[in-house]
Parts: sequence; C-alpha cells; structure tokens
Amino acid sequence: MSASTYASVLGLTAAVVLLCAVVTLWRRTLRAIIRVLAVQGLALACVAMVVGLRRHDTGLIVVAVLVLAAKAIVVPMLITRVVRHDPASRETQPLVNVPASLVAAGALTILAFAVTRSVTALVPTPAGRLIPLGLAAMLVGFFALVTRRKAVSQIVGILLVDNGVALVAFLATAGVPLIVELGASLDVLLAVVVLQVLAARLRSLLGSFDLDRLTELHD
Amino acid sequence: MNAGSHTVVAVIASCSQVVAVAVGGLVLIGLMRKVRAHLEGRVGAPILQPMFDVRKLFRKERLRPDQATWIFPLAPVVLVATVAVAAAITPLVTTGPALSTGSDFFALVYLLLVGSTLLALAGMDAGTAFGGMGSSRAVTIGALAEPALLVTILALSATAHSSNLPAIVRATLADPGSVATPQRLFALGALLVVIVAESGRLPVDNPATHLELTMVHEAMILEYAGPDLAFVTVGEAMRLTLLLGVFVNLVAPWGIATTTNVAAVAVGLVTLVAKVAVVGLALAVFEVFTAKLRLFRLPELLAGAFVLALLGVVSGLVVK
Amino acid sequence: MTAASLVVSGAVLGLTAGVGGATLPRRSRVAVGAVLVWGACALEAVAAIHVLVSGHRVVLHSAELLPFTGVNLVLTPLGAFFVLLVAMVAVPATLHGIGYAHHGLDSRMAAFAVPIFVTVLLLVPAAGSVATFMVLWELMALTSLSLVLVDHGRREATRSAGTWYAVITHIGAAAILTAFLILAAHSGGQSFAALRLHARHLAPVVRALVFVLALVGFGSKAGVVPFHVWLPKAHPEAPSPVSALMSGAMVALGVYGIILVGDVILGGGSLWWWLVVLALGAVSALFGSLHAASSTDMKRLLAYSTTDNVGLALIGLGASGLFDATRHPQLAALGLVAALVLLLNHAAFKGALFLSAGSVQSATGTRDLDQLGGLLRRMPQTGALFLGAAAAICALPPLNGFIGEWLLFQSLLHGADIGNTAGEIAIPLAVAAMALTAGLTVVAFVKAAGIGFLGRPRSEGADAAVEVPGTMRLAVGLLVGVCVVLGVVPTLVLPAVERAVRAVLPRVAPLSLAHGVDLQLVGLRGVLEPAALAAAMAGALFGLGALRRALARRPAPRVAEAWGCGRQLQTARMQYTATSFAEPVQRVFDDVLRPVQDLDVSHVAESRYFIEAVTFHNAVDDGIERGLYRPVIGAVRRWGQVARQLQPGSVHRYLAYGLGALVIVLTALTVIR
Repeated sequence: MSASTYASVLGLTAAVVLLCAVVTLWRRTLRAIIRVLAVQGLALACVAMVVGLRRHDTGLIVVAVLVLAAKAIVVPMLITRVVRHDPASRETQPLVNVPASLVAAGALTILAFAVTRSVTALVPTPAGRLIPLGLAAMLVGFFALVTRRKAVSQIVGILLVDNGVALVAFLATAGVPLIVELGASLDVLLAVVVLQVLAARLRSLLGSFDLDRLTELHD
Repeated sequence: MNAGSHTVVAVIASCSQVVAVAVGGLVLIGLMRKVRAHLEGRVGAPILQPMFDVRKLFRKERLRPDQATWIFPLAPVVLVATVAVAAAITPLVTTGPALSTGSDFFALVYLLLVGSTLLALAGMDAGTAFGGMGSSRAVTIGALAEPALLVTILALSATAHSSNLPAIVRATLADPGSVATPQRLFALGALLVVIVAESGRLPVDNPATHLELTMVHEAMILEYAGPDLAFVTVGEAMRLTLLLGVFVNLVAPWGIATTTNVAAVAVGLVTLVAKVAVVGLALAVFEVFTAKLRLFRLPELLAGAFVLALLGVVSGLVVK
Repeated sequence: MTAASLVVSGAVLGLTAGVGGATLPRRSRVAVGAVLVWGACALEAVAAIHVLVSGHRVVLHSAELLPFTGVNLVLTPLGAFFVLLVAMVAVPATLHGIGYAHHGLDSRMAAFAVPIFVTVLLLVPAAGSVATFMVLWELMALTSLSLVLVDHGRREATRSAGTWYAVITHIGAAAILTAFLILAAHSGGQSFAALRLHARHLAPVVRALVFVLALVGFGSKAGVVPFHVWLPKAHPEAPSPVSALMSGAMVALGVYGIILVGDVILGGGSLWWWLVVLALGAVSALFGSLHAASSTDMKRLLAYSTTDNVGLALIGLGASGLFDATRHPQLAALGLVAALVLLLNHAAFKGALFLSAGSVQSATGTRDLDQLGGLLRRMPQTGALFLGAAAAICALPPLNGFIGEWLLFQSLLHGADIGNTAGEIAIPLAVAAMALTAGLTVVAFVKAAGIGFLGRPRSEGADAAVEVPGTMRLAVGLLVGVCVVLGVVPTLVLPAVERAVRAVLPRVAPLSLAHGVDLQLVGLRGVLEPAALAAAMAGALFGLGALRRALARRPAPRVAEAWGCGRQLQTARMQYTATSFAEPVQRVFDDVLRPVQDLDVSHVAESRYFIEAVTFHNAVDDGIERGLYRPVIGAVRRWGQVARQLQPGSVHRYLAYGLGALVIVLTALTVIR
C-alpha cells in the first residue's frame, strides 16, 4: 500500500482505539461497555495488521490474528459470562459523573500529547506520530479503573490500560517479538480469569458488584 | 651473698611477717581496746585478752548449723590462709619477701577479696536471716569501696610506674619528698577510708555490736563457734594489721629492710611493730569519738573516698 | 592433612551433624549430633592451632558454592583464636545438651539447628570476604533465633524474646552490611584483603561512618549498651546449652567483628573512635553488673553479666586503640591481649554458669532464685562447680578471671601518662568503672550462689531436686577445669593470644608477655606469678586445715540449730531472698534502676485490725528499654495510626493514588525538561 493510505488507515484505527476508551466512560450498561471493548480489540488488531503488512513482517501479522482472537473475542466472552447472571446490571452512579469524566478524558489526552512530544521527535515515522494516542488510551483506561464502582467495569478498565500499552508497543517498535506478545496476552488472560472468579465471589458475598461495599480492610 | 642465702633470708623475712601479723594482730586489737577503755573511763581487759580468747575458743567444741554445707567450715580456714599468703608476700618488714616479684598491689586486694567473699557465702550457708543480712551488707560495702581502692592503687602506682608493692615502697624510699605531694596525700587519705571500710571498723561497722540493726560483719559470722570462730577472729585481726602495715609503709617506709641480711630484717620488724602500733592507736582514739554511720550514709562516705582518690590521680597528671 | 582440608572437613562434618540430627529418630538425634559436632570442633581446632603455631594463614576459595561471589575463607591467627574459643564452648555445651534434650532440644528443628549453629560459629572467624561473612552471619542469626524459639509453644515470653532478638539482630546486620558495602564500593572487590588495601584511601568522614556502622552492628550482637536489650530477653528463654553458646561464643564474635573492622580493615583509625568504644565499654560494664546484681531470675542475671563482661573487653579494646592512636604500640598490644583474654575467660566461666543453671532448671523446674535454695546438699557436684565458676567470674585468684582483670588493670595503669588529655581523663574513669563492676559482680554472684545453693530450699521444686546425669556434670566440669588451668597456668594460651594480637598490630616488636609460668610484661614493670600464688594458697590452706584438726578437741563439728533470736523453729521463709539480698544495692542506685514496688496488704474479713497476708512485689526492668526503646516504639505506633488514615479500605481510593501518582510524574517530566 502507498505511504499516504498507510498513514491514514493507521491513524484511523489508532484513533478508534482511543475513541473506544473514551466511549467506555460514556456508556452506562455493562453489556454496552463490553461491546465497546470488543470493538477496541478489533481496532487494535487492525493496527497490528496494517503495520505488519506495511513492513512485510509475518510475525506481526500472526500477532495481529492472535490479538483479534484474544482481545476481540475471547476476553469479552469471558466477561460477558460474569454479567450474564445479572441481566439488568447497569453501572450505577460512577464516582465522577459522565460529563466530568469526559472532560477529564480530554485533559488526560492533552497531557499525553504534551508528555510524548520528545518521544515522537525520536520516531518520525507515521506510526511514531500516533504514539500519544496510545498513551492517552492508557491514561483514560486508568481513569476508568479509578472511577467506576462495579467490579466488572474495573476489569474493563484494566483491559483498556493493556490495550493502550499494546498500541504504543505496535506503533513505537513495529510490534514486539512474538514470544513477548504471547506472554503478555497470557498474563492478561490469566488476570481476567482470576478477576472473573473474584467478581463472582464478590457478588455472592455482597449481593452486588459494588466495590465500595468492600471496605473490610478499614480499621 | 649468693642467691641461695638471699632466698633463705627472704623466706625468714616472710615467715616473720606472717607471725608478726598473726600474733601482733591480736596484740594490736587488745591494745586498741585498752586505749578505748581508758578514754571511756574504764580499766578495760588486759592487752593480751584477744590471745586468751583465741586460746579459749580452741578448747571449745565446733558447731555447725543443720543446713550448713562444706562452705561453712571452709571459710575461716580460707580467710586465714589468704591473709597469711598476703602477709608473706607484701613488703612489711623487708622490700624483698618471698615471691616479691609477683607481689602486686592488685593481687593483694583480690587475695583479701577471696576471704571476704567466702565468708559472705558462709553467712548465707547458715540459712538464717542474720547471715543473709550480714552478707548482703558486707558485699554491698565491698562493692562500693572497690572504685576508691583501685583508683588509689592507680594513683600510688604512678610514681613507681608499676603496681608492684616492693617497687612502690622502694620508690618512696628513694624519693621521700614524694609522700608530701598532693597526689600521694589524697590517695593515702582515700586508702585509709577504704581500710576502715574493708576491716569493718567504725564508722563503717562496729565490731563490738550484736544488735541486728547495726551488725554487718558480726552478722555474717554469728553461727561460728570454737576453733572456727578462733580462726575468724585471728583472720580479721591479721587483715587489719596487714592493711595498716601496707599503709604505714606507703606513708613512712623508713626502717624497712632493703638489704637481705638478718639484722636489717630484725630492724624492719621492730620498726613495723612500732609504726603499726602508732597508727592503730590513732585509729582507736578516732573510734572513740565517732559513732557508726547509718548504712545508707555509707555510699556518701565511700563516694567521698573515691573522689579523693580521683583527685589524687588528677593532681598527679597536672603536676607532671 | 593440610589445614585447609581440615577446615573444609570440619565444616562438612558439622553440616552432616545437622542433617543427621534432623533425620535420625528422636532417641539418638541429640547424641549423634553432639558427637559429630565434637568431631567438627576438633578438626577446626587443629586447623586453628596449626595457624597459630606456624603463623601462616589458611586460604580457601570456591567460586561455586555461592553464586556471583564465591566462598572465600581466610583463617588468620586472630580468627584462629576465636575458632578455638568457639570450640572450647561448643564441646561442653553439646555434651550438656545430651542430658538436657527433653527440654526441647530433641525436636527435629533443634537437632538440625544446633550443629549448624556451631558450624557457622566456627566458620565466621574464618570468613574472608563480605559475601561469605554476611551469609554466615545471617545463618548464625537465623539458627540461633530458631533455637531461642524452640520452647515457644509453651510461653508467651519466648515469642516476645524472639521478636526482640530478630528485630535487633537484623538492624545490626543491616548496619554491618552497609558498612561493608561502603568499603567494597570504594575498593572494587569484596575480599577483606582488598577492602583493607583500599580503605586507607578513603576520606576520614567515610572511614568514621563505616566504623560507627560496624560498631552499632557488631555491638548489638555483642550486647553492648544501648543495643543489649535483646540479651536479657533471649538468653533466659533459650535452652541452656544454646544460651551458653550464645553468651560465650556468639557475643565474642561480635567483639571480633569490631576488631576486624576497626583494626584489621581500617587499620587503627582516629582517637575518638576508641574513646567511644571505651565509653561504651564502661557504660555496658556498669549497667550490666548493676542489673545482674538486682536480677532475681538466674539466667537473666547471667545474661546481664554477659553485657558486663563484654563491656570489660571493650574497655580493653578501647584502651588498645587509644594507645595505638597515641603511638604507644607496646601498650596497645597489651590492651588487645587483655581484651582477648577477657573474652576467652568469659567463654569458659559463662559457659559453665549457663550450663549449671540449665542443670538447676532441669532438676528443680524453675530458674527463679527466690524459689531455689539448699541445692548444694541435693546437687553436690553441680553446686560445687557453680561455686567454682562463680569464683572465676568474680576474678578471685587463683582462677582465670583474676588473670584477665590483672591484664586489663596493667594496660590501663601503664597508660596513665600517654600525653593525650582526653585519654588521661578516660583512664582513671575506666579503672573506676572496672572496679565498681567487679564489686557489683561479687554482689550478683554471692547472691546467685548463696540464695540458689545455700540455706534451706524455698520451694518444693528445690526441695525435690536430685543430681543431674553425669554428662551434664561432666560438661560443666570441663569448663570449670579450663577456668582452673587458665588461672594457674595462663602461659599455656598466652603465646597463642600474643600471636593473634601480633597479626592485628604488626608494628609492634615482640610482645608483652609470658616465659615460664610467670606473667612478665616486657618493657613495662609488672609481674604476676599465678602458679606460685596458687601453690602458696593451697599450701596455706592445707596447713591450716591440718592445724585446726590437730588443735580442735573433736574433729567433726556438732550439728546444732542456728541462732533464731529465741525462736524455736527456723523455716525457709526466714531466710533472705534474692530480692532482699539486692535491696541495699538497689537503694544506693535507686535513680538508675527505678524499681517498681508494690505492697499489698489484705485484712481478715472480720476485723481490719488483723492482717491476713502481705504481698510485696519488687520489679526492676531494663532502664534502656524503658527510656529509649519503648518511647521509640510508641512513636512509631502513633505515626502508624496517623498513616492509617491513608488506608480507609476503599479500593477506589487506592487506585486513585496510583493514577494521581502517574499523572503527577508525567506532568513533572514534561515541565522539567
């Protein structure tokens, strides 16, 4: 593909990743949030595929397929299983209300751009110029982790952070070695499984997923 | 004279020292009591009364408390033995008694400590309240007197650069003026206080009392009878005489034999007897005019002795 | 066999003993372990003697045993001396442990830990590099900690003692490690030889810092005030053979560490370092002896007495450094000899005392002096041996304590005019401290021996006591025998001590002592003739004993009741107790000790004029613990409470901390370019 198409496709997919992160802050129902996560996974896979195709790097293409399978399909499925037992679950009032969260997301994105100015100077390729998007996605995901009440939303937050980091990895270094990506994905998978179990336990103990009720450590 | 006769004379001198201290000790005690009696307006017992007492005690039977162990009969013998060894090696009559090379002031102090420690243990062996009380007070006084004693030795050893007693005496003989230095005087003053404390004389302890509130030494030896008590009496008399003998030879060593011939030893013996008698009498007179201190005033007295000794050391440093 | 192979085989044998102890059945565990440990001690001792006699060091290097750094063992004459000291204590202690086994030493943990502990104690003086030393040091701490806690299931006090010991020993280890790391960073290698080579190029401030850290670290292991608070807690709670090892051998290794860093590696150092050591020694000696004199628990008394003796050794060490810094090499060597002799003597008599205290505890079930009494009649040999060891620690001639005190006194005496004002003031004060300590030690041990062994039994346990098995008596007897031999013929070991000292202070011309059986200071005027003195005392004793027998009418004394002021019956209650014996001393030193006294009078129900019971409780707790440690612990707790506000239990709060920190860092990075 030509340089300009490459640049624009890359930019689009990276932006979609960030956009999904922001939308997570906006949507209220847990099912919707999981769907957005799946879309983000898909966009991430596309980024990897595009970069791999551009560089004719078969390893990266394999990674892209793996990312698709893992982040876009398997993980959302696992989380959906947790939510299935509670069909009408909505994110109740988050700690920071929606408009304020969106404003915060914007601020974090600006911060990300400010911080990575020197980094983008180092990597003048089209991919390199999009690194701030990855960092912003990571910060927004962290913010979601902090301000959501339900356990499931927090699992989603961790996954958003992980996706942001993966995006930065693909953009900055044209991917990471296969083995590293496999290892990282396995870690995340394991984390999700554990969190799923814990969330189920939380529900059975407290009757809901509200993490603010888990204050036994106080005292 | 060859080495063999040196040794013979040294042994003779040592033996004469032991005998002088043993016999002379009892006579000294009798003399002190006589002087006290006269000053108090009494006639008093004969001067040789302590010797008669000892002879009488040897004729009585030995007793021991039912709970006592082998410590009880051992203590009086050890007391006399250690004081006798100490008397043999210190420079009383001559500066060259037997074993004089090892005649260390520090060793002397610890030799005497063996006897008093064992006596304290014997006091506890009886299993009575008196014994425990006497031992407790005696070891406390001993502990409080130690700092003064060792710092005094430090001060007195400074001139001779050694704690070897014959060396100190010889250094004093060689330089008579050194006795009048503030260093020596302070140290000797402290030594006198410590001697009074260690031998259990007034104002630290009253050797004539049998009231439990005032007893220290007497309480420890309350259970002894017969020959054991005789040994204890002799041992205590020897200890006092020995300490006074060391004291006088540090203050005024003139007359002590410096050469190894029998005539010098005889002269030394006579001068020792005279000097110790004088000091003993002075002590007896002092005792008449003193009351026994309360037990818990003793730390003040002994701390005062310690400060005196420390002053002795410090003034030695300053006047260098 | 070369000395190097002896060292290695000794270590291997010790490890085998540990493994054997853990795997064998209960009945043979302790005995087999003990025998193998004796073998290890013998091998190491032979290697040490070889080093001392020939003057050559033994060097062993193995790169495989420890990753990255390898194991580096260098046995110098100084180290060899300490190996012999450890072996001297370890053999009787393990022998005693065979009889003491049912008090917890026959568990798998203990049977494994004791041989490992002894092996590590034997190897620490031979460590030649930082890594080897720290690994062995930590192993020593861990094994001794597990041995302290051997009885923890039964008593709360044991757990508390273990906690204090663990915390203080690890703070000490951290200090030591820091000191070594500072030295290693400047020398580019971690063997002690390399450290020594580069240490002289360090800035004085750095050298001072290293010394202070080493003093804190090794001082806490040696039991120097104010880091001694674990000693009176841990030593009583450990089983007696372990207490003997810890008190006799482990604290000596603490002093070895100070000599290692101060003299060997840093090569002497400044004057004020050694004044600090001298001051700490004097304070420790006074504090230890004072608390020993007021303790009523037999083993706590012995533990405080350990602090006292370590203080005396530090006085000797401080004096030695002082003289070295003011260029009096002869005196410096004498001071160091005195310190080493004091440590050797302490290992011998403190080992004997702890082991016999263990025998007493085994026979009576208690170690509270107020419950004991009359044991000399019921346990004649143990009692006699305890009295012998007590006489040794009171420095009575002709035993070994006297030799050590004489050497210390001579070094201080001849240093009275060294030309440095601070030193000249310090010396008489050190002499005074030494003297008062000696006096208070006599109080403490007359109390321990008199109340514990003489008189009537104060409890049923004491009344029912029987003599302990022969192995336990033999163990104590061995150590008391060593005390007697070292007292009468000290010139047997003094050449070895001189050789060790000459390895540390090589600038000195032939050193200060020995020849024949008399002690003679070379170049200074001071002579002691211990053998002649002992012979004279023995002769006088026998002569007078015979005289008494000849003069007395009947040789054997008649048993009669003691004077009871007209009372007919004497009971055990009428005797002095340990509390009452120490009361005069407590009164004199009231301000320092601050005893807590509690008097409880209960009246008969019918009338307040009649008293039913009076209870008096007197407790002296450790002044430094009360005044220094408890406020610090309290302040730390209060800060902890304040910090708790940061932890309300809300997961969101914790996550917010994380995000906040990340944002702050990123912002800071952008701003600070």
